[in-house]
Amino acid sequence: MTIEQLKAAAADNLWAAIAPEIMIGLLALALLVAELVLPKKRHGIIPLISLSGLLGVFLGLLMNFRPLDLGGTTFNGLLRHTEGSQFLRVYFVLCALLVTVLGIIALKKQKMPKTEFFSIVLVITAALMLLGQAHNFILLFVALETVTVGFYILVSYTRTNPLSLEAGLKYLILGALSSALLLFGIVLLYGVAGNPAAYASSTNPMDFDALRVFLAHNPDNFLASVGIVLVLSGIAFKIGAVPFQIWVPDVYQGAPTPVTAFLAVASKAAGFALLMILAGVFSSYSGLVITVLSIMAGATILFGNFAALTQHNVKRLIGLSGVSHAGYLMLGVIAALTPGVGSQAIGAVFFYLAAYLLASFAVFGVMTHLAGSNDSDQELDHYQDLVKTHPFLAGVLAIGLGSLAGIPPLAGFMGKLFIFMVAFKAELYWLLAIAVVGVVVSIYYYFGWIKAAFFAHWRPPLPADSVADARPVRAAVSLPFGVLLGTLATASIVLGFYQGPLGAWLLGR
Amino acid sequence: MSDILFHLFSLLTVACALGVVLNKNAVASALCLLVCLTGIAGLFVLLDAFLLAVLTVFVYAGAVVALFLFIIMLLDMQGGDRKPFTKASIVAGAASVGLLCTGLYTFIVRGHIDSPALSDTPAHGSSLRAYAELLFTTYLLPVQIVGFLLLIAMLGVIVISKKFEGLEDIK
Repeated sequence: MTIEQLKAAAADNLWAAIAPEIMIGLLALALLVAELVLPKKRHGIIPLISLSGLLGVFLGLLMNFRPLDLGGTTFNGLLRHTEGSQFLRVYFVLCALLVTVLGIIALKKQKMPKTEFFSIVLVITAALMLLGQAHNFILLFVALETVTVGFYILVSYTRTNPLSLEAGLKYLILGALSSALLLFGIVLLYGVAGNPAAYASSTNPMDFDALRVFLAHNPDNFLASVGIVLVLSGIAFKIGAVPFQIWVPDVYQGAPTPVTAFLAVASKAAGFALLMILAGVFSSYSGLVITVLSIMAGATILFGNFAALTQHNVKRLIGLSGVSHAGYLMLGVIAALTPGVGSQAIGAVFFYLAAYLLASFAVFGVMTHLAGSNDSDQELDHYQDLVKTHPFLAGVLAIGLGSLAGIPPLAGFMGKLFIFMVAFKAELYWLLAIAVVGVVVSIYYYFGWIKAAFFAHWRPPLPADSVADARPVRAAVSLPFGVLLGTLATASIVLGFYQGPLGAWLLGR
Repeated sequence: MSDILFHLFSLLTVACALGVVLNKNAVASALCLLVCLTGIAGLFVLLDAFLLAVLTVFVYAGAVVALFLFIIMLLDMQGGDRKPFTKASIVAGAASVGLLCTGLYTFIVRGHIDSPALSDTPAHGSSLRAYAELLFTTYLLPVQIVGFLLLIAMLGVIVISKKFEGLEDIK
């Protein structure tokens, strides 16, 4: 390349366009420095530094929601900034805020180093935010690997607990397998689209625009179809769709509860962001993509709901219910591939993700607060008589679970309604029938949990010499955490009645 | 000439890859991996991708396999007895071999690529300069992200393996 070309390429690296990600990355470094320079008894403020920094970035993003470069690409086409990617940025920062709060509570119960947890959460968040704007396979893969490596560490963070280590190992091996599938798919697409002998080939086939043009000119290339299916499989691992859901229950159970929440909400949202970006790239192969995703979505909804029926460990239960939520969301993605429903379906998926975030973090907040020192051991029985000892927590739990189950008038119901409406418009009648069956089945296990918390049930008398109660001790809820849980629950209710500008913006596009 | 070399290196790579999987001794497996990677480096040389060939030898054959050997020796791994196959695993194995063969067959029959003559294609990847120019301009952002990836990987190793004393007073 000539000097002028190099200068032009360097000038397109507009670092100001990713200022929020850079700030979060620097915040992660600042936490590590703070641990070095602060005296040991002042280490308690490190998570608060992280929280205040994240809050600053969150407010900054909301105030500058429509930057000037919206709709364009920066970094020589590596990133594309759209309204959707701006929504995802806000979403991931909000996730990081809530995970940090849960982390403060959960790590108090463990004898583990604290700072690294918050630092890794921040790095993962920055990578997730870049992932939502990915417009090139190289950036997509590098950011995705940063997220995945961060999760390997976080999942096995409480290493004194064998289940956490086992979960970390399982996630490592299956994560490596999924990365291999994704890479193989990317390489196949790169190979066919970059072949100079092929019609309409590109010199830069990693770029999504170039790839879309190539695929549009070669609508029946066998190797490209294999590549597309492999890329979709790699992403299906991340969102836990059947048949790549095998890691979900064990990893969700073994991981510390805040990490489970992060995996369930942020990692899944990132997977769907990628699916929607790639659905646009693969639009000329939409027949193939729709077939693959439809089979996955149907199997995912049925498997998630039926497998969750028999669970007694609440972390496994919420993990498997998360699998079924991935199925409902895939319904939205499939509808987004249908001409005419496209942008509305994407809005419906985003709305569902927002409702899922509020409800999930309400439930995970209650779980984190009630967990004992053994984080993996959270049974349905531990929730007995919750309404008598902690009526507030029981109320938040009921609202969160109700929203996840899709009980009107909560936000989860509206989310499901929007998804089902776009699926109906896209004429996905079979999948809709499966989804309705799934919703009905899901009510059984969500209400089993609510029943455990609200209604007393008979327990066999304990033998005289046994420990009186294996349940973890229930502490009182601190005021800031109570306010946070209350806000999440209230937001779930309000968003169910009134979608306001958020709903108008998401669905009116 | 290069045809003979191609077949030689491919044979070496595939045979050693099989050796990695089939060997019962972990050290022998790691050494097979070393030879396998050298074979791949040879294939890269035949494609005029000299930089990739050198990097494969340095990074994988040099650093990564040496690391594998250290860990195997540290853990003092013995081959150990393999569990006998159960009926279910035989059925599952046979089914997956069948699927794999079907997949490979479909690949061979339908996965045709018209390739231009090798001499017509300029070897962009052979020069270190072209590579560095791209890394420092177009792909500067991914390079920075990889920096953070390595940072958290290091943090993770510390958190998961270090013995922490006196954490009670932090609590």
